Order: sequence, then C-alpha cells, then structure tokens
Amino acid sequence: MFRTLLAAAALLALPAWAADVKALLKEADSYRLIDQSSRVDTEVRVFKRGKLDKTRLYAVYVKPGRRSLVVFRSPSERGQKMLMLGDDFWLVMPASQRPLRITPMQKLLGDASTGDVASMTWAEDYDGRVEGEVLVDGVPCLKLDITGQRKGVSYPRIVLYLAKSDRRPVQAELYVASDKLAKEAAFKIGVVDGRRLVTEMTLVDRLQQDRRTEVHYLARSRKALSDEYYNPAFLVRADLDN
Amino acid sequence: MSRTALLAGAALSLAASGALAEDALLDLSYKTRFVGEDRHLRDDSVFGPGLPLTSFGRDRARLEGEARGKAGPISLLVTARQSAREGERAEGELVANEAYSNFGAGANRYTAGKKILSGDVGFGFRPIDVLQREQRLQALPPALEGIPHLAWEHYSADSAWTLVWANPTHERRDEPRDDGSFALRHYSRWDKTDLHGVARISSRYKLETGAATSTVAHESLELHSSFLVQRRDERRAPLAEPAATADLLAPDRALRTVTLDNPRKLLLGGTWTVESGWSLLAEAWYDGTAPTAEDWRTLAQQTERRRALIGTPGVPDAAVNGSIAASTRLFEAQNLTRRSALGRLAWTDPAAGGWSASLDWLHSLEDGGWAATAAMGWEADRLRLDAGLRRYGGKPDSAYRLLPERGLLFFGVSLAF
Repeated sequence: MFRTLLAAAALLALPAWAADVKALLKEADSYRLIDQSSRVDTEVRVFKRGKLDKTRLYAVYVKPGRRSLVVFRSPSERGQKMLMLGDDFWLVMPASQRPLRITPMQKLLGDASTGDVASMTWAEDYDGRVEGEVLVDGVPCLKLDITGQRKGVSYPRIVLYLAKSDRRPVQAELYVASDKLAKEAAFKIGVVDGRRLVTEMTLVDRLQQDRRTEVHYLARSRKALSDEYYNPAFLVRADLDN
Repeated sequence: MSRTALLAGAALSLAASGALAEDALLDLSYKTRFVGEDRHLRDDSVFGPGLPLTSFGRDRARLEGEARGKAGPISLLVTARQSAREGERAEGELVANEAYSNFGAGANRYTAGKKILSGDVGFGFRPIDVLQREQRLQALPPALEGIPHLAWEHYSADSAWTLVWANPTHERRDEPRDDGSFALRHYSRWDKTDLHGVARISSRYKLETGAATSTVAHESLELHSSFLVQRRDERRAPLAEPAATADLLAPDRALRTVTLDNPRKLLLGGTWTVESGWSLLAEAWYDGTAPTAEDWRTLAQQTERRRALIGTPGVPDAAVNGSIAASTRLFEAQNLTRRSALGRLAWTDPAAGGWSASLDWLHSLEDGGWAATAAMGWEADRLRLDAGLRRYGGKPDSAYRLLPERGLLFFGVSLAF
C-alpha cells in the first residue's frame, strides 16, 4: 500500500519536475540569447596541443521553431551556409550555389563547431530532471540531466550545471549518441549592454586529447528574419552575406 | 572576357562611387590557388597522329586569384587566372564569375546580373541543371562562371518559384549555356523530401521539363532522383557509314551533328554516411543525348581508315591528322556513354583533423569502360592541399579505353586570406 502511494506521489510529482526543468532551461537560455529571434556573431578558436589551429567566424540567425541559419564568414569558408529546421538540414557550398539536403549524420561530420554555435537554446530541444545540488568550482549549482527530444541535436544527452542563485550556465558535460562523454563546456559570464550574458564558452574535447575550442560571442542583436529566409531555396541569395 | 570584366568593373565603380547609401564598403575575401595536372597520353591510342593538334596529353597549370564578397549591394566573384599548357604560351584572363544584385522584399524578390545558376540533386550527373550546365567529375575544376540573367523569385516558408530570363540579349550561341532562354524553376519542401521542378524554353532545345527529389530516408541515408525530357537535342556523332574518303579527310566535317527528338535523362542515387566518417555514394544514370557504344566503334573504325591513308600519294598528312584531331571532339560530350554507374567511397576525418580521401569508380554500363579516381585532401585554417590520380580503361572499343589519355595526376594548393 505504502509503495503504491509512493508511486502515485511520484507520478503526480513528475509533471511538476518536468515543468521545473523546462523553466530552468529557459532561464539558462536567457544568458545565451537576448531574444528568441536573434543574430549572434560568433568567433570559434580551435586549439590543438595548446596552439591555435584555426579560427572560424559565423553569423547565426535563430528563430523560434528550432530554426537556425548559419552564415560562414571566414575567408576559407566564405559563401557557405547551413540551414537547420528542426531535424532537417541543408548546406550550400560556394562552388555550386545550390541547396543540398544533408542527413543528420552528414551534419555531425561537418565542422563540429557549426553545431556548437547554431544550437543556442536548450529549452526547445531538451528535457530531463534535476539530479540534485553540487558545488562546481565553489559555485552551488543545480545538476540537470537532460536528453534531446529530437534526433538532430548534436549531443543527445547533456549534464548541465546551473548556478543555484541565478540559473546561469556554469558547466556542461556533452555526450554523443554512444553515451560517451564528448566534450566538457565551461561558460564565462560578462555584462553586455547592462545585461549578464554568456560571453565565452570553452569546450574541452574528451574524445580527442589536447583539443580545446573557444566560442566567443562577439555580438548579439534582436533580428527577426521573415520566414522566407528559412526556405532552403532562399539560401542561394546573398541578402545576408554582409 | 571583355563583357564580364566590364560587369565587374561597373560593379566595383558603382560601389566606389559612394552612391550606395547603406553599405558602400567593399567586403571581400581572397583566395589564391595553384593547380597542376600531369597528363599521360596512351601510347597505343588510335588517335595518335592527330593528338599533337589537340590538348590531350599536355600538362597544365593554372594560378588563380579569387575575390569573393560584396561591394555595396553587388555580390562579386572575380577570378584573375594565369594558365599554361605544355607547348603553348601562358595566357592570363580576368573573369567576373559573378556580379549581381539581389533586391526586393517580402515574398517577392529579384536578381539582376551574372550569377551561378546550378540546379539538381545529383553528384555525377545533373539532368535538370538546364541553365548552368555544369560539367561534372572534373579534377579540381576552376570556379564556375555564372549566367547573365534577370529573375523574379517568389518565396513562401516551404516553397519557391523562380522565373529566369537567361542571357537576355542572346539567341543561339556556340555553347548551349550561352543561349538566350526562359526558365521556370520550382522548389517545395514536403516533410523529409525536397521537390524540384524546371521548365526551360530555348531555340536549340525547345521545351525542356524535368523534376528532381532528394529525401532523407534515415539519419544516415539520403536518396535522390532526377529526370528530364527535352523536346529536341543535338549531339555530335561520327560520320554516317558508308563514309566517303573525301569526308573522312575534311577536318570541318570529321563529326556530324545529329538532331534528337524527345531525348530523356534519368538519374537515381543515394548516399550512406556513418559516424566513423565514411560515406558511400552510389548513382546510376541514363543520358539519351550521349554517344552510343556503336558511335565509339564507328569512330574507332573511321580513325583506322583515316590512319591507313597516311602516306597515300595525293593525300596530305595534314588533312589526315587534322581530321583525326577534329574527330576527338566526340570526347567533349557531357557523358561519354548513355548508361553509367558511379560509386564513390569517401572518408572525412571525424576527429576534425582536416584530412579527407575519396575513391571514385565510374563505370559505363554500355561498353564496359571505366574511370577511376583516388584523391586526398588536407585542410588547415587557411590552407588546403589536394592531390589525386585518375585512370581510364576498359574494353578495347569502350569510350574510356579509346580516350587518348591513360590518366592524369593532379594537385592543388589554395590559401585563403
């Protein structure tokens, strides 16, 4: 009888936990995006054995409904664009100027940093539970274990540490499909236009030793592109190339 | 060259004039590239006597400087190229591959200028690429050159219509891509499938209509198909048999032009990609405008007859060699045979180390000829290196075995800044 009551209580409590996690993720997202429709200019620096290996520049346009458009800005990648609509992906290469539908696997095998810069929200893509409270570098944190709610996410499982005081992201463990720990992320918070935001995310690769990636958020602005910009056929236009 | 250079110059001067209110800045990225090709003649080629008059077997090199970006509202891709071929003088050229402006707002948009207009979903063959008419399966090809055009585009969230007036001042020109034409293109997205449709009308081909699909059937599998039917087409073919000796010796009549009614093109293919970085692409296609196996047998026989005339009193060797050389233009066909299959095994370093490799096998299902290509690449921050080897072979009368080259080695170095 007691066990039945416990199970019933757990079932009743489940929606509340789930709602809490979504609310926590939304709060955490507010440190990464200033608005649900935004442009984020990002610089990615990849280090190998402590030395800078390559630098990449991206302009990312995000919109609710899991829509992201990545415009590649580095000299070596100029003209390249990637569109992500939920679990569907398209790529335009400058050489042929035609939108190519690619599989989630092809997207994962592309430059890994593309997924890291294009995914700016957790609340839309993940759900899970609060596992408890822990100290991370002396900061009291809530430990969340969240899993992707769709196939196309770069990391199907994330263990996320949010500061208990203000829900800012502090650290994350990013797992690939085989549930191997792929990367550890640390978030640096700064004040931008009077608002506390993530200004840098450092990713330490756990699958390949001696590899570290710094994602610097150079600028964020509210930008609501109209729907046609997220039409794959629109990718061949140069309206966003500046 | 002059027209395209003028376009680029006009675009640049427009940007520099300060008349562009919003963003009159030049925003360009640069890339420089060197490509070398070491080509190997087939010693026993039936076309041997005519080959000194062709470019077969001549090593090639080209040095390119490329600027890509925007000058105010003008999108630009400009290439300065110095190219050299063994035994010939080096040549320089400046090409505005693209110089166009996108304008309009909301659902209705417009494009004016010269822009790459590639289309279709395939890798080895693209039946509905009716505007750009890109030559596929080239080793380290130069940047494509766009098509001058005016376009009206209509977009919704999931579909698009584009009406293109290509080469507005042209009627029929030497190359089909330079012909004046009107085309209507359609795109729509339906769940995991992209649908493409095209209709083009030109004086050379009359009406061409086609459709293509690309579907993500599984997180690792993409399937595609493409189909085109043309009202008419033209293709080169060997002289009709029995060919008169006088015709065999006339370089300007070494091949004839055949008109085709309602030829069709069809492609089926798919790509399987796995987490370890390997991918396998498989395609098979039919091109009703390509030469037939019978064409290649006839060409080989006619070439033997031409060769037999060497040394015959009253027959100048120059006429024989010139005719043989002119007949090799049959190798310029987009597909050398009608039914082909392509397998491409490729690997990309999943650890993002910059390495990639591929092995391509193109097989003619019609005559047993083949072309095999192995290539490797390495990419760093701004540097990219490519190298590869291509070989041709097959049954004695097959198109790829008749090709006057055994193969080529190629390499490229590019630096972006």
